Amino acid sequence: MFVSNSMTRKVLTVEPEADIFTAQELMANHKIRHLPVTEPNGRLIGIVTDRDIRSALPYKFFKQPSVVAEEDSFSKLKIKDIMTRDPITISPAYTIQDALLVIQDARVGALPVVKEDGILTGIISVRDLLRAFINVLGIGEPGTLLCILMEEKVGQLKKIVDAITEENISFGSILVARYWQKDKRAVFPYLLTLNVAHIKEKLKSLGFTLLDPMEWYLDQLPKK
Amino acid sequence: MSNRTGFLYDDRYQQHLTGNYHPEMPDRLPAVYKGIQDAGLLEQLTLIKAVPADLKWVETVHDPHYIKRLQKACSSGNNIFDSPDNQMCPATYEIALLAVGGVLEATRLVLEGELDNAFCAVRPPGHHAEVDKAMGFCYFNNVAIAARYIQKQCGIQRVGIVDFDVHHGNGTQHIFERDPTVFYYSIHQHPTFAYPGTGREFEMGKDAGHGYTKNSPMLPGQGDSEYKQILQRDLMPVFADFKPQVILVSSGFDGHIEDNMSDIKLTTEGFTWIIKKIVEMAAEYARGRLISVLEGGYSIKRLPELARNHVEVLLNG
Repeated sequence: MFVSNSMTRKVLTVEPEADIFTAQELMANHKIRHLPVTEPNGRLIGIVTDRDIRSALPYKFFKQPSVVAEEDSFSKLKIKDIMTRDPITISPAYTIQDALLVIQDARVGALPVVKEDGILTGIISVRDLLRAFINVLGIGEPGTLLCILMEEKVGQLKKIVDAITEENISFGSILVARYWQKDKRAVFPYLLTLNVAHIKEKLKSLGFTLLDPMEWYLDQLPKK
Repeated sequence: MSNRTGFLYDDRYQQHLTGNYHPEMPDRLPAVYKGIQDAGLLEQLTLIKAVPADLKWVETVHDPHYIKRLQKACSSGNNIFDSPDNQMCPATYEIALLAVGGVLEATRLVLEGELDNAFCAVRPPGHHAEVDKAMGFCYFNNVAIAARYIQKQCGIQRVGIVDFDVHHGNGTQHIFERDPTVFYYSIHQHPTFAYPGTGREFEMGKDAGHGYTKNSPMLPGQGDSEYKQILQRDLMPVFADFKPQVILVSSGFDGHIEDNMSDIKLTTEGFTWIIKKIVEMAAEYARGRLISVLEGGYSIKRLPELARNHVEVLLNG
């Protein structure tokens, strides 16, 4: 669950003295949107995005990039003139959860990962985090999602997990979310099976309510 | 005038045993038979008996190593294969070959003009089976193998597959996703909620096969009216363009409101409407040639009427 396991390690970087067209080409060729700016010793000093470059150039460059004379004048623009200095960074020892919270708060598309000495060691993007999250949800594997309503008291989740385990069913993931009724929780086990008929009956006989999947949202449970 | 409809039924399909509490149980087939028999339809049908498939046809879809692996697992008495979902017994390999063979026999009779169409009541089902992996109660992909047979044995180019089982037929989709000669259409419960987690709207085939796979994911709670609307929007136009020369149907009845394997709420009448529309398309593009193959459907109480209505439509359009 650490950033070091999910980040991109072979990071493409630019020097602060590079011209903006070099950076633009690098990004286009590698289909990336963020370039950390480093000193020759690898210390991070800034970051430049494809958006920074687009904002620095007049619109016509994207329609006719071959206006040589003008391109010349813009090529005097250096990365150091348009980059974000001292960007928000995280440490490779941060967890994926840390990274999710930082990236959401910072409203950026990627975070450079730097060691304590300020040396760049990787970059983690929203894409990397999504990949990790898909992995956590287990949805890369075939399975069925159940939605169970349980009372918020000790031992309820154990009952659910025990019932599923007794059926010899593996878990892809299990999410627990708050529910719109007081003292209730919604539990979403993702079960790696097609065979859910018997476990559904069993959970009902144990007194759990199976929720209609149309009645909830992962990020915002509706109020009744 | 009624159609010459074949009905593949063989007691041996009940020899594939799946243990206690397994929904894909032998009793499903007698339920299907009873519904057809009680309605007095047997006299109008041509009964087809199963014959084991020639391995050369199975190998048009499945990896030879996989076939050997399954055979070995059966003969050494394993009771699960690849996943705890796939409960098996020593006879499973032979019976799975018999399912493929029965479907190929029905296909042959339709393609040679002896029958107009056929319903194959087989076990184990097939549409989750991948090239080299058993999944979701399925070992050999009966429908996929039939599609290859139709192309190689009968020289027919364009095969259309309609899969209305409530679960997406991942195996069939993956087998043909790069193939523009086999159109795979599936309507099923949305993969976020239901097994196997594939069959999203944006899965449309790959490379040369792009545009020859189409998926209609249905939300939990949806039923007859939504299915009618979506099939008319998604299936009819693409088959009108593709003009399949034969239609294969993966017929799963597990989207029935009383089937507890899904949250889809189709009624018995809803299923009748669906097969009617598919039979109409077969009449229009494929000279009526249609082979329907049983996939899921686990409500022992509702299977008789579902099978009866299905066969009635095949007979009378």
